[in-house]
Amino acid sequence: MAGNKGRGRAAYTFNIEAVGFSRGEKLPDVVLKPPPVFPDTDYKPVPLKTGEGEDYMLALKQELRETMKRMPYFIEPPEEKQDIERYSKRCMKVYKEEWIPDWRRFPREMMPRKKCKKAGPKSKKEKATGQGTALTSTADVLKKIEELEKRGDGEKSDEENEEREGSKEKGKDGDDEDDEEAAEQEEYDEEEQEEENDYINSYFDNGDDFGVDSDDNMDEATY
Amino acid sequence: MKRKLYYIFLFFLALRLPRTMTQAEIKLCSLLLQEHFGEIVEKIGVHLIRTGSQPLRVIVHDTGTSPDQVKKALCVLIQHNLVIYQVHKRGVVEYEAQCSHMLRMLRYPRYIYTTKTLYSDTGELIVEELLLNGKMTMSAVVKKVADRLTETMEDGKTMDYAEVSNTFVRLADTHFVQRCPVVPATEDSDSGPPPPAPTLVINEKDMYVVPKLNLIGKGKRRRSSDEDAAGEPKAKRPKQSTDNKEPIPDDGIYWQANLDRFHQHFRDQAIVSAVANRMDQTSSEIVRTMLRMSEITTPSSAPFTQPLSSNEIFRSLPVGYNISKQVLDQYLTLLADDPLEFVGKSGDSGGGMYVINLHKALASLATATLESVVQERFGSRCARIFRLVLQKKHLEQKQVEDFAMIPAKEAKDMLYKMLSENFISLQEIPKTPDHAPSRTFYLYTVNVLSAARMLLHRCYKSIANLIERRQFETKENKRLLEKSQRVEAIIASMQATGAEAAQLQEIEEMITAPERQQLETLKRNVNKLDASEIQVDETIFLLESYIESTMKRP
Repeated sequence: MAGNKGRGRAAYTFNIEAVGFSRGEKLPDVVLKPPPVFPDTDYKPVPLKTGEGEDYMLALKQELRETMKRMPYFIEPPEEKQDIERYSKRCMKVYKEEWIPDWRRFPREMMPRKKCKKAGPKSKKEKATGQGTALTSTADVLKKIEELEKRGDGEKSDEENEEREGSKEKGKDGDDEDDEEAAEQEEYDEEEQEEENDYINSYFDNGDDFGVDSDDNMDEATY
Repeated sequence: MKRKLYYIFLFFLALRLPRTMTQAEIKLCSLLLQEHFGEIVEKIGVHLIRTGSQPLRVIVHDTGTSPDQVKKALCVLIQHNLVIYQVHKRGVVEYEAQCSHMLRMLRYPRYIYTTKTLYSDTGELIVEELLLNGKMTMSAVVKKVADRLTETMEDGKTMDYAEVSNTFVRLADTHFVQRCPVVPATEDSDSGPPPPAPTLVINEKDMYVVPKLNLIGKGKRRRSSDEDAAGEPKAKRPKQSTDNKEPIPDDGIYWQANLDRFHQHFRDQAIVSAVANRMDQTSSEIVRTMLRMSEITTPSSAPFTQPLSSNEIFRSLPVGYNISKQVLDQYLTLLADDPLEFVGKSGDSGGGMYVINLHKALASLATATLESVVQERFGSRCARIFRLVLQKKHLEQKQVEDFAMIPAKEAKDMLYKMLSENFISLQEIPKTPDHAPSRTFYLYTVNVLSAARMLLHRCYKSIANLIERRQFETKENKRLLEKSQRVEAIIASMQATGAEAAQLQEIEEMITAPERQQLETLKRNVNKLDASEIQVDETIFLLESYIESTMKRP
């Protein structure tokens, strides 16, 4: 370093004494490495506040963290298959209650495609939880049918987006439509008959679909 | 030319983004989302923060996640008001992350605790349910809360819906809960296709109006009788009970916790306690009364409260607070004369009109925070220099050394340290246009706003570090934690079946003494980390409020 040897002083355009270095003093070395991860501190931190309020908030925070994990909003990543099924895993599995979004408040594309498959048992649950009644009112059903009618041409006009999946979708669309309409029909029936024997109705619905698609679809619509 | 156009395009692209988030903020959001909603939601949320608003298809493509998962994640985020959507031309729906809302998750315990202090357990549970579920209808909240309260009560007692409803109404009256934007009713649904996404409208008038509901009923115990809970499918049960009314009376009217109102309350509390510390209990009580009187009339972002005459204040003082009008006037004059200017005098009519200078108060609180951070990080002598620069606005190095009465060498050392940590900034004023250092004034100054921003950024970083450390500690001891949970579960089930004490003890001993000790240490550490998170968030709140109120000023 030139700065600390008398003659190198000319390297600075200003008087180095002004920044606090006396004549002939060594300048600090250039630091080329990142600061330590756990640096020493000159002053110890002050202790945390304690008190009734703080304790309560702490308990609340920890409880909230656990509760969140049990809420239906907590989406677990799909588990990878384990070589051995652990007993503990099975018995510690938490059963979450289902969440049925109020679809009126969400963009339509959010609705799962195969929702219709379980329209029967689901609408029953909707009433049970008393939250979402997305499909129960007739206006909504009408809207839904309309939307389905439209879907075909809507997607065609949206060329840019559809190009990739276009062919695949068109094939599927036909089936979807039929299925959904069938399901809708059943929903009507169910609303009318519900009081007397909804059990039979929903049973019938399930039986109808059973052969067509696997059980996996059952999980799809509810979050 | 082409390149130039490209830059112009980039510029406009940048304009579209609301406010670029710092890395520290994104990191913190990511940790919070992961803890609250799991990894998939976190992935989608962070992607949206980084990229700004995007349509579904692009999100699916860019994150490489299955469309179903993305939809689920987006639904969760929308439900919790963490993502908003908007229909663009050609019917494309774009989703946009609300980063500032995500950071609010840190404060959930504080919102809940505050409601407990104000509206007891019922209020606490109402706000907790609203925060846990994002938004809910009033009837759903009331039922859930009544059930939960009933479960904590002793046998035979139940919580009445009406009582929970009353608390809910009180929360709405004081604006702690508010209605969510509603989907406008569409009568002419058969004219044209329905839009790809509903347009939500805020109805200012009804924001805090509780729908007329006659909720009759009582909370139910989950396990009131074990046999029917076990035997019957759950979905059927409500049918048999009394409330099988088909249309839900408040269908579609959703409520959410009004976080701004909570922030206003926190701010008011901070101001009151600051006044109490500076002057005395009585003056803080006067300020509290003034703040309470203007709670609803003053918007939470206003720089001043509405002017209040001393007569009005006198009439509104809490009952049983025995001070005469004369003493009150003296206190008000004293408060108005205080150099901190928390209270200002705006006129002489009505026995003197007084306002609370909210902006000034927040600025003072933020400055005090900065001062105390400097004191705790660099020591009291640095704090002296810091306060000096703060007070004198601009000082040359020589003046700092002289005024602070600290030996020149040490003073320089301290000044540079604070300069390098960005608590103090340096202003160059060249005497000649060549900016030659020998002919330039170097003035040290404290820019409170930028220092507050820097500190806020550090707070975000600290909290992210705290969370990571906590997760690390928990992960390290995962096996042990699982074991202790298992043992506890076994003990609980054995107690239920009525096992002997000796048997219980035997199982308890499955956890060895050193293991027990390790668990204790872990618990202590996690508690400390959690408590720190909550308390750092208090600083965050103060700094954020100050910055927000400064930015809003014309």
